[in-house]
Order: sequence, then structure tokens, then C-alpha cells
Amino acid sequence: MIRVESLTKTYLTLRGRKTVFRDLNFEVPPDRSVGLIGRNGAGKSTMMRLLAGVDLPDKGRIITPQRLSWPVGLSGGMVSSATARENVKFVCRLYGVRGEAMRRVEDFVADFAEIGEYFDLPVATYSAGMRARVAFGTSMAFKFDYYLIDEVMGVGDARFKAKSKVLFAERLKSSKLILVSHSMKTIKSMCEVVVHLDRGRAMVYEDVDAGIAAYEKTGGRE
Amino acid sequence: MQQIEIRSPYQVQKDVLYALLLREYSARFGRSRIGFLWVLIEPIAHLAFPVAMFGFILDRHVTGYEYPVFLLYGLLPYFLFRSICMQTMESVNAGRGLLSYRPVHLIDLIFTKALFTLTLESLLFLIIGTGLTVIGYDLVPAQPVQWLALLLGVALFGLGLGMILAAICSFMPDARTVIRVSFMPLYLASGVLLPVSRFPDEWVAWMAWNPVLHWVEASRDLGLAHYQPMHQLSYRMVFFSGAWTLFIGLSLYRLRRLSRVTT
Repeated sequence: MIRVESLTKTYLTLRGRKTVFRDLNFEVPPDRSVGLIGRNGAGKSTMMRLLAGVDLPDKGRIITPQRLSWPVGLSGGMVSSATARENVKFVCRLYGVRGEAMRRVEDFVADFAEIGEYFDLPVATYSAGMRARVAFGTSMAFKFDYYLIDEVMGVGDARFKAKSKVLFAERLKSSKLILVSHSMKTIKSMCEVVVHLDRGRAMVYEDVDAGIAAYEKTGGRE
Repeated sequence: MQQIEIRSPYQVQKDVLYALLLREYSARFGRSRIGFLWVLIEPIAHLAFPVAMFGFILDRHVTGYEYPVFLLYGLLPYFLFRSICMQTMESVNAGRGLLSYRPVHLIDLIFTKALFTLTLESLLFLIIGTGLTVIGYDLVPAQPVQWLALLLGVALFGLGLGMILAAICSFMPDARTVIRVSFMPLYLASGVLLPVSRFPDEWVAWMAWNPVLHWVEASRDLGLAHYQPMHQLSYRMVFFSGAWTLFIGLSLYRLRRLSRVTT
């Protein structure tokens, strides 16, 4: 279950304090994939970061399951002077995965990314596509209750896309996702509940179509 | 597919610090085998140049000690202080990308950098100290336990000031340059190079406002047998400058942690 209780989040900018959410409350029923929708600047990414626990609320509480992924496909967390293997090992250590299990994760990511001996070369030498493959593979190597995805999904060539799609579908049999997207087609096909963020308020729709309709009424288009 | 176990907060903290420290070490030394030699050059240079400049004038008759020994006991606390302070200040920016991993908090990045710098500098000076001992200098501290406690204290002092400076830089990024430059006069004013007790008393009275000078003098007081420190040396100043700085640094972190923006 995901529950947000009287959440206030502001940012200090050069033009004073900007409030993203004030005293926000909502609750998403358990074990459903969640779509976060709203216009640009409605606070989708902020909400995602708050849910992910990488940004802190000014006030209020956020209750989420314990095992939430980092934003899937994140390649900013990779150290470019280190190799992909070292980066994968680092993530393993962060999550307390050691020894034999760590080796299995390394093998899994190396297998999935298919970048050959580059896997043991510094990330700085990779193309953007290679980076994305490693990043996606690393997220998929772990079992999370929820995978967090901010927009972009399809990376790489057609064959790799197909492969990631199969793997992701496999993961979604036992896990759920929290998705930020402007593509209503993606939201419709992947989410079971939508949270519509609009002018600092959040509306939860258990009927995805109704949520999308509400979003489109506020001026959102595909 | 790897299952992630639910760990106790203590276990998470341990895993995170371990992972970050290991990452720090492999980033510094994993790449090349001579990486360590490069790091050694800085402290050696800081030891060698003053020795070349003042070593002949400041012999036993002036300081009561061989100049390299006198210098080392001032250089070590100052270096620990400066490096930890600078690294702490920079750590907030350097590791930003890692904050996207849920177990990693900003304070982990700060503590990791401080811990890394402390262990690295200690190791460097241990190597240099061993080298000097082999050549024939007597470096054994007079009051080893108190002296080591002082070094730990100066590390915390540096951590505190680094956190304060990081907070300042978070809303005035340009301040970074000024801060970096101001370490030079601080170095000269902290009595690392020359025996302050031999300066005219009215100068020392002014210089004694600088807490770092007290730390440097205290290090010699505890490390060198029969050392005559400046008569203004106050252990109360040493303790309270460190404690207050650390307290303010941690409080500022607590107050300003909300203002960070992660992307």
C-alpha cells in the first residue's frame, strides 16, 4: 500500500519559496501498478522522488512498501571512471547482497546487457545505448515490490527493446510499478490505478479511463 | 532475480558506508598501480620545501627539536584538518548521483568522504613517519594516547567546519573559490612552519584568536617531550572550538537537508 499523509513539499528558488504540494493526502490500494499523470510541472517527478525516498517532505508522512527500486534505467548513479561490473557490485553492496549472490547478479547483468568485454572497461568508454543497457539490466536484476519508472522505457535497438519488454513483463508478474508518463497508451496498458496530479492536488482513480479523461479535461493531451 | 532482504537500520547503515568507502578507495587506487605514489607526493612536498627553506636556520637551538620533527608535529594536525574540511565541503556535490539509490543519504556521502580522508592521510603520514624514523629521526610521541585523541579531535573539527562550509556553498556556490584561497593564509597563521613562541608577544596575542593555532601547538605540546608552547595555549579553546564547530555543522545539516534537490 502507498499512503501519503498531509504532505507538504516546497523548494526554495531564487524567486522565493515554491510550493509543490500543500497538505496532500491520498491512498493507493495495495498491489496495483500506479500511473502518475498530470501536466508538465504538476509535480510528477517530485512525487516520484518523494515516493522513492530520495527527497524528503517538509511535513507529513509517506508510507510505502519497503522494497522500492531506484528510478529504473537510472544511469546517473553510475560512476563513469569505474567499470560496469564495479558499478553493479556497488549496488549489490548497498542492498546487502554479497558473495555468491553478488556473482549471480553480475552474471545476470553481463548476460542481459550483451556488451561483451566492455563490461570490464570504464563506463566512460560506453555509448549512451550501452550505458542504458547496463542501467536497465541492473534494475531488473533485483526483485522489488515496486519498480519506479520515470518516462523513458525503450532503449536500444529493436531486438534489445523486445528483450527488455519480455523481461519486464516477467518481473511484473510478481511486482508492481509506479510509472510517470505522458503517453496515455503506456499508462493504459501498464497501470491499474492512476493518480492525477493537478495544481497541488492528487486524485486517485481506480478506473484508469476515468483518470485519463480527467487529465485530458485539464488540458493534457498525448 | 535477486531477492533483497529486509535489514535492520543498523545493518543498512553499515552496508552503505562499506559500499561507499570501498567505492572511494577503488576510485582512487583501483585504476593504476602508481596511484598511491601520486598521493604521497603532496605531503612529502609540504614537508620537503619548508625543510629546504628553514631547515638550516631553525636547528635545535631555536626550536629545541630537529626541524623536520618539529614541522611534522604541526603539519599532521593541520593537514588532517584541512583535507577533511575540504573533502567534506566537496562531497555534497561530488556524489550527488548516488542519492538516487534509496539507502544512500547525503550524510552518508559526507561521513564517507571524511572517513576516507582520515584513513588516507593517517596512512600517508604513517609511511612518511616510518621513512623519517629509518633515516634516524626520533618521532615517537611523548604522550601517544592524548596525542592520538587530539588527532581524532582535529578530524572532527575539520568535519564540522566542512559541513558548515558545505551549507554556505549550498546557497552561495561562488563562495567555494574564496574558501579554497583562504586556506593559504590560515596555513601561515597557524604556526605550522615556524615556532610561534619565538614571535613577539603582542603578535602572538593576536594570533591566538585562531583556534587552529591552538590545535597545532597542542599537537606539539603532547607529541614532543619538554616542548614550550606559546603561553596562550588553551586546551579549553581546543576542545570548545572543535565541539562547537561540529555542533553547528551538524545542526546546519539538519536544518538545510530539505533544501537539497536531487535529480
